[in-house]
Amino acid sequence: MTEPPEAAAAATGAPAPPDPDGAGVPLSVTFRATVAGVVVSVLLILAIVFGSRLLENFDSALLPYAVATVFLAFGVAYRYTVWISAPGARRLFRQGWRSFFSMANFRKAPTALPKMIATYLGFQKFLGARSHARWAAHQLIFWGCVLASLITFPLTWGWFTFTSGSGSGPGYEMRIWGFKIIGFDSLNVLGWLMFHGLDIAAVLVIPGACYFLWRRMKDRGAITGQRFAYDLVPLIALIVISVTGLLLTFSSIFLHGGGYEFLAILHMVSVVFTLIYLPFGKFFHIVQRPAAVGMQLFKYTGLQDQEIFSCRRCEEPIDTGPYVENLRGTMRDLSLDFDEWAEYCPRCKRVLRGSAYLSHVKKGFK
Amino acid sequence: MMGRTIFIDPGRCIGCQACVSACRECDSHRGKSMIHLDYTDEGHSVASLPTVCMHCEDPVAPCAEVCPADAILVTADGVVQQADTTRCIGCANCVNACPFGVPKIDLQAKLQMKCNLCYDRTACGLAPMCATVCPTGALFYGTAEELQAERPGVQIADTFTFGATEVRTGVAMVVPADKVQWPVPGGLPVVEINGKDVRR
Amino acid sequence: MTADPRADDPRRAVPLDPSLAPPGTRAFRDAGGIPADRWHADQNGETLVPTHCCFCGVQCGMYLRVDRGGKVFGVEPRNHDINRMRLCPKGVNAYQQVNHPDRLTAPLMRRSRDEAFREASWDEALDFTVSEVKRIQQTYGNDAFGVLGGASLYSEKTYLVGKFARVALKTRHVDYNGRLCMVSAAGANKLAFGIDRAGNPFSDILLTDCLLIAGSNVGECFPVMTQYVWGARDRGASLIVIDPRETAIARTADIHVALKPGTDSAFFTSVLNVVIEEGLTDEAYLAAHTTGWDEVRAKAAEYPPSRGAEICGVPAEQIVQVARTFARAPKAMAWHARGIEHHSQGVENCLAVINLCAATGHIGKPGAGYGTITGQGNGQGGREHGQKSDLLPGGRSIMNAEHRRQICEIWGIEESELPPAGTSMMEMVWQMQRREIRGLIGICNNPFVSLPNYGVVKEGYDAAEFHAQFDFFLSETAVNAHVVFPVTTWAEDEGVMANAEARVVKHNKAQDPPPGVRTDTWVMCELARRLGAGDKFAFADSRAVFDELRIASAGTVNDYYGITYERLEETGGIAWPCPTIDHPGTPRLFEDGRTYHPDGKIHLQVVDWHPPMDPYDDEHPMSLTTGRTVAHYLSGNQTRRLGGLVEQTPRPWAEIHPSHGFRNGEPVRVVTRRGSEVFPALVTEAIRPDTVFIPYHWPVPTAANALTIDALDPRSKIPEYKVCACRIEHAEKIDEVPAPPVAPGHVAYPEAQVSRTDPRPPTSPQGRGTSERG
Repeated sequence: MTEPPEAAAAATGAPAPPDPDGAGVPLSVTFRATVAGVVVSVLLILAIVFGSRLLENFDSALLPYAVATVFLAFGVAYRYTVWISAPGARRLFRQGWRSFFSMANFRKAPTALPKMIATYLGFQKFLGARSHARWAAHQLIFWGCVLASLITFPLTWGWFTFTSGSGSGPGYEMRIWGFKIIGFDSLNVLGWLMFHGLDIAAVLVIPGACYFLWRRMKDRGAITGQRFAYDLVPLIALIVISVTGLLLTFSSIFLHGGGYEFLAILHMVSVVFTLIYLPFGKFFHIVQRPAAVGMQLFKYTGLQDQEIFSCRRCEEPIDTGPYVENLRGTMRDLSLDFDEWAEYCPRCKRVLRGSAYLSHVKKGFK
Repeated sequence: MMGRTIFIDPGRCIGCQACVSACRECDSHRGKSMIHLDYTDEGHSVASLPTVCMHCEDPVAPCAEVCPADAILVTADGVVQQADTTRCIGCANCVNACPFGVPKIDLQAKLQMKCNLCYDRTACGLAPMCATVCPTGALFYGTAEELQAERPGVQIADTFTFGATEVRTGVAMVVPADKVQWPVPGGLPVVEINGKDVRR
Repeated sequence: MTADPRADDPRRAVPLDPSLAPPGTRAFRDAGGIPADRWHADQNGETLVPTHCCFCGVQCGMYLRVDRGGKVFGVEPRNHDINRMRLCPKGVNAYQQVNHPDRLTAPLMRRSRDEAFREASWDEALDFTVSEVKRIQQTYGNDAFGVLGGASLYSEKTYLVGKFARVALKTRHVDYNGRLCMVSAAGANKLAFGIDRAGNPFSDILLTDCLLIAGSNVGECFPVMTQYVWGARDRGASLIVIDPRETAIARTADIHVALKPGTDSAFFTSVLNVVIEEGLTDEAYLAAHTTGWDEVRAKAAEYPPSRGAEICGVPAEQIVQVARTFARAPKAMAWHARGIEHHSQGVENCLAVINLCAATGHIGKPGAGYGTITGQGNGQGGREHGQKSDLLPGGRSIMNAEHRRQICEIWGIEESELPPAGTSMMEMVWQMQRREIRGLIGICNNPFVSLPNYGVVKEGYDAAEFHAQFDFFLSETAVNAHVVFPVTTWAEDEGVMANAEARVVKHNKAQDPPPGVRTDTWVMCELARRLGAGDKFAFADSRAVFDELRIASAGTVNDYYGITYERLEETGGIAWPCPTIDHPGTPRLFEDGRTYHPDGKIHLQVVDWHPPMDPYDDEHPMSLTTGRTVAHYLSGNQTRRLGGLVEQTPRPWAEIHPSHGFRNGEPVRVVTRRGSEVFPALVTEAIRPDTVFIPYHWPVPTAANALTIDALDPRSKIPEYKVCACRIEHAEKIDEVPAPPVAPGHVAYPEAQVSRTDPRPPTSPQGRGTSERG
């Protein structure tokens, strides 16, 4: 499971978007996306090779996982490129990064961005406004996945190693890229946490995912338009990964490894499947979500500069000036030639259409 | 135009807002009303206009096109769904691009919401809540043939003009029979604002 | 979260959270006040209980959605043939009353009005009530105690109100709030036809060629009936609307006669004049089926269109046009409502319409006929079975010796024990003012909002030594009482109501009442038992009462004998008279040309116009007229607590014509001889320049009825709500709508009251547009 930082990495790896005015023939989106995917995959492979000290620390048992992450990197970069090639996303993407890199912005409100990242990406305050229960469940899944990713990805890539000074414990030391970070005793609390980090993640994810699954069975609002592959498969995948992961621990502690091999394979299959599925289904929202911060930063900048755009008819505020200009550009890119209409608020659009109907079509019943 | 769809006749509307209350009762909206009811002739008469999502067919859903997050799905039956909760970033592009002024936005929840033709009901053959309760038939759900059987002499129009652009929709307006060839004016170009001529 | 302090302008902190979106795109108020988290749409299994709406006289069918826990949580449209799935905003929101946080769940009691209410046990409240009844009756006589009923009660309960007053309390003073509703039509119907109900079912409207609607804002007061009006027009009928305001149906009507309030009888007599002059009368029909035609014709001759036009303030040509359209139509129908009934000559106004229908022969045929649209849910049924001061069950007269004998036999009392006729509701208030009535039990009414001239009403109620009130929300009237009994909503008991077509429909019980709440039936029977009349009130439930009601109405004009709960459940409604179990009911009257008078004729009555009771002068040159808005019902005690409806129409306004120079939303003081109040102006061309309209659903200081006049029609005793003299002035500050009263220790459910204090008028009389909500 990837995290926002990786999304950002993927984004920077993507080629620059084409000229927004469409001058010159842009490379085909598929081609660019493929190039982006290959570049990112190659970079990841290089990172694995060098990060594991030329595969010295690489655990060959984890090879399938590592391969899956390379596919994941390709998929995410590919999808991301396709995504931001669409006019709406491309323009907002540019505006978002422009606000992000603006020194003036930073000087005016240095804490705005970190706060936004914390509330929107970390604590997901907006979910609380939708439903408290969904917020709680999502937080469980989110932090569970963050924890799991922070442990497994470096491990898979051979970036982390745990070595025992005495051969078989209890003294261990953890190394990243071969450099010692901490030493700990596998029998104390820290050690226990180190070795059971993934179990904790599973314990967090399972109730969260089960709540969502239950909701998808019961809640009519959620059931409406629900699709199995899009809405249910991700939840089932999370539950399968977490349960098999827990069972692996259970097997090694209580069953002396009984059924371990079967479980390991099942676990691996489900993880590989999830990683490869990620860019193409519901999980892609993980990669997309930072756009909310970019969008908000863009609007926040406009608000700070007091650039408020008001409806041309009723003079009620619509949004910020740069935002409306950006939207009109998007509409022109899409050949929606009524972009002038964006200068009127939705109510005035309806009232003007209603008056036009009254005066040009019919006044009353007949 | 879809086979069974909503037909809107503002001439029959009495502005009672039964649709506004009924919309809330639809399970797929979770207690929120998505329909708009505007009094379009304020100060002069009690004329009113209900606005549901028009489910644009050509161009296909401007709201979905301008969405930066690919959050608005158009299902195979032509229904433009409300934003996918996992994807919507609450940017309000759809709110301001929609030529009919339909989508609403919950800023705190960072979520767009709009009429989805009561998908939980229409998907299994029931009429949407607004058209079910509408006391006047200003909102009618059915086929064009069913409409004309009940109201002899009416025609339907599913194309709107916004300046030079035409938008064809899945939801249609009822028009008098002699005006069927007209696209319905969408309100753009604006000729007058608050009594002042604004034609350039 | 606020912006960084080092932002450009520290005074204008930019919120970090998104805060800017166009108006009307972000006002999400959930489920009319229920927070999103508590909105349940879980597929846990639900039951749909078929019933009808509790509000107006159309009686739309609906299903209440009941969850597994047995609680009502929603509404589902029902394909009943009255409404064919259609509902109005009141109907859609009605279910929210049932489990509303403002519900009363324990009797409230106090020994004097100086004390605060406290919750009491049922025994204590009942015993206190009974001791006060006994004390007052022993000191001042039986007639010193009065009962006021209501027309939103099931027919069973209205029957019980009359029986309770006459048998348990042995008082002559019983009346009900239908007295404020459609008694003028009832009086006219009785005089002309000998039967008190609409002549035709709604479905006949679809068959007519010309539909005349007088004094009825159908689009707002009976929204679901609009489908019949439009249906008739789809089939080619012309529509004539008589109304001082350009309402939603008047806006698109073929002819809209915007006459001056209080001139209806002059208008209709003038129309009749044209019909006679142009030879459009149906002489054969008149000769065969009417009496009194010569006198009526002679009187009509005094009202040529020129005179009618002068009185009514409309063009004479319009009168001619209405006469021709109505009389020349092969089939024409006239429907009217409070607009012509709420007058000091309400009965005459209705008789003028009857005269017109009879003269043109438009009576008793499919698509041709006459009817009144009852405003209250059980406006029709509520007036039939003896809670009216002059009537006994079955529409019998309390003055008629034979009728008295029959009822005494059924009730098992001596005729000497049955009190004589009492007085009307407004007169009872005057009697309370004069201390002729010293104690009162009010059941299902809210006179502090609904009776005219609030000052007098308050004085009358304050003079009462003891006052008990039954209600499920604490009304403005109940808050002034000594004892308040918490009773059931319509969804917590079963019973029948009769709609505007006189079709009896059955309401079913959807959930058990909350703990501490009893049915009105139980409370009345329990009071009767403690008053020593228990043997006459041994009713276990509504069904037992209905069985007695059937017997009590058997053989009368209002014959319910053939109507049973089982038949109602099978058929979806039966129109009375229905004398036998196999009788199909009588949807359309007078089909054989015979009325219910012994001679079978329509007794035409001479109608002569006179000006309204409140005279115009230089100080009061304009007419004030009152009425409903679509989102609220009667005194608003129910609808002012439902979030969706409060949001639609948070407050009253004064509707005035632009010629007076007010801007929309400006404070406007409306002054009558009874008082003055300040409302926001709703400036619109859709009202006559000489007329001001105020909706009446709100209490003082925003009550239209603090301004209206308590003048009564001499025959029907209906107050003249629809016209009184007034003037308008500029003012400083708009009077604020008070929160609805609640039991001590509670606050009115805040989620539902959010928009109440907003001072703006609605966008249009129907309410705020969805984008104009705060």
